[in-house]
Amino acid sequence: MNPVVLVVEDDARIRSAIRMALDGEGYEVIDVGSGEEARREFATRAIDIVLLDLMLPDINGFDVCRALRQESDVPILILSARSDTHDVVAGLEAGADDYVTKPFVAKELAARMRALLRRLTPGEVRGTTYRFGEVEIAPDAGTVLRGDTEVQLTKTEFRLLCELARNTGIVLSREQLLDRVWGYDYLGDGRLVDAHVRRLRTKIERDASDPQMVVTVRGLGYRMNRL
Amino acid sequence: MTSPSGVRGRGLRFRVVATFAIGGLVLSSAFALGTYSFSKRYLVAQRERTAQRQAFLNARALRGSLGGAPRSVPDALAALEVPTGSSVVLHRSGTWYGTSVALGRDDVPAAMRTLVASGTAAHQRISTPNGPALVVGVRLPSLDAEYFEIVVLSELANTLDVIREALLGAAAITTIAAALLGVWAARRVLSPLRDVSTTASAIADGDLSQRLETRGDPDLDPLVESFNRMVEALQHRMERDARFASDVSHELRSPLTTLRASAEVLERRATDVPPDLREPIELIGGEVQRFERLVSELLELARAEAGVDALALEPVNMGELVLHAVGLTRPGDFVVEIDPRLAAAPVLTDKRRVSRVLTNLVENAQQHGSGIRGVAVSRRLDVVRITVDDGGRGVPPDEREQVFERFFRGAAAGRRDGSSGTGLGLALVAEHVRLLRGRVWVEDASPGDGARFVVELPVEDA
Repeated sequence: MNPVVLVVEDDARIRSAIRMALDGEGYEVIDVGSGEEARREFATRAIDIVLLDLMLPDINGFDVCRALRQESDVPILILSARSDTHDVVAGLEAGADDYVTKPFVAKELAARMRALLRRLTPGEVRGTTYRFGEVEIAPDAGTVLRGDTEVQLTKTEFRLLCELARNTGIVLSREQLLDRVWGYDYLGDGRLVDAHVRRLRTKIERDASDPQMVVTVRGLGYRMNRL
Repeated sequence: MTSPSGVRGRGLRFRVVATFAIGGLVLSSAFALGTYSFSKRYLVAQRERTAQRQAFLNARALRGSLGGAPRSVPDALAALEVPTGSSVVLHRSGTWYGTSVALGRDDVPAAMRTLVASGTAAHQRISTPNGPALVVGVRLPSLDAEYFEIVVLSELANTLDVIREALLGAAAITTIAAALLGVWAARRVLSPLRDVSTTASAIADGDLSQRLETRGDPDLDPLVESFNRMVEALQHRMERDARFASDVSHELRSPLTTLRASAEVLERRATDVPPDLREPIELIGGEVQRFERLVSELLELARAEAGVDALALEPVNMGELVLHAVGLTRPGDFVVEIDPRLAAAPVLTDKRRVSRVLTNLVENAQQHGSGIRGVAVSRRLDVVRITVDDGGRGVPPDEREQVFERFFRGAAAGRRDGSSGTGLGLALVAEHVRLLRGRVWVEDASPGDGARFVVELPVEDA
């Protein structure tokens, strides 16, 4: 079955541009023009990925992003007309997985979506689990347990965690993480990594302000510590 | 008349100091001169009065001593009280008597002798080998004699010399003090100007938030206010321009997104359309791409100029960055030199901006300089130096600044042909380098021909 894309964009021309860009990529495209419609569609249908414009007529795009994120771990790709530091960071804080600035190139958009829809990175030995203190990661099952309770991670957060876990004790640079988790080449935006690490920490660390597992290595990147 | 190379040509500070010094000299000299002449007149008059009184007293004493018991004139003269250095001359019955060998009859002026002989008391200043002197003459009718006293004024002259020297010294000191006061005053007067100059150059360097502070000085505040108003207007204007460029680019983005997507569909389906439509489809695709790039570069330039995005400093391996920027372009036959220190340790800088600078320089070399000849990156202290050499005809000296202006097309630069250049590449380089607090310039590449673009960026260790 084709993955279902929910496009939330108030400009009809951009909606048709997106349809054209995704033409032949094998997606089922549903497009809506407002935040309210987006929430309605999301509640009634199984959506695999969301393309979200930040400037909507009714609800602020950031709020839509937060609302969707509360209900689901669906990948959210922000369509931003600007590359403002402020907007990008705010979007990522609101739970988005990645962003694309307009005017986008069809290939670029498709590549970003593919990266977000990718299941786990290949090369995983079946049945491997990682344990860090009370946190247990099962890449196969796609689950993270903290004690007995399951930690809700988005797919991107999960891939990031697995990547770090697989390289426990080794420093991974932002570039390496952008490449392996988001599929970016050298010039990806390091803020993606930083924002996701921050979110990940609030979910798996005992004290996110004093991380013990995912630590920052100043000047180099991030490292998973064995507890 | 003052020649241009005269005082007026010397600068405000010099003029203030010179004015103070000259003023001090004139005033103190005038005061000294006045004081001296007043003192002199006073002291001389006083000395004359004393000498006269003394002479009259002596004349009376002589009248007493010679008028009574017969006594020899020299004895009587010797008995008189006369100040040291002075002498007495008496003319009686055609005979001249004196108490001193040095000063005698010949020192009394003839006119005065006649005047005194006629019965008038007189005094007159004369000069003697011992210095200035005062002659006082009195007729003594009862003795039928004329009495003269010659008082040497050397003591007074000494006193006046001391006063003169003291006054000259005081005038000299006053002049020096006035000059020093001038230096101080000039510094004080010029300090607001110095502030203006510092602020103005900060503004010229792009910091439009700089303002002058009012000092509560009614003479200076109008200047400060008009200066600040000027900067304010400039800032508003620049912000408005930047906002306009940014708004325009934003507004263009939506239609461009649609155009781009449509053009891509057309290009994908190029085989499905009649062959005579393929060229226009290709043209549309290429032009849309170029237009889009122009818009995004204009926006980037507007944002950089308005300084809306802060620097995003992060640890960057400059060696990797350079290799990446060069590698993005078609592979060529050239050398990339990377300082081993930079290959080993990351530095703190804004990766995206440095990368934009590099890719734009590389593109410029390919579009206008017949391709890259060499790229080098080195580090000296806290400065990273990147050079990009090309194999073109170089940039003539008079175009080396303009080349960084937007849409500049030099006489020697390539014509606008099929290239996808926007004419903004080097302007963007200059803007990004400015924001990175670095410098960029173009010179001749060392092997003779071709241009060398040099970027120097201050960095810190990561």
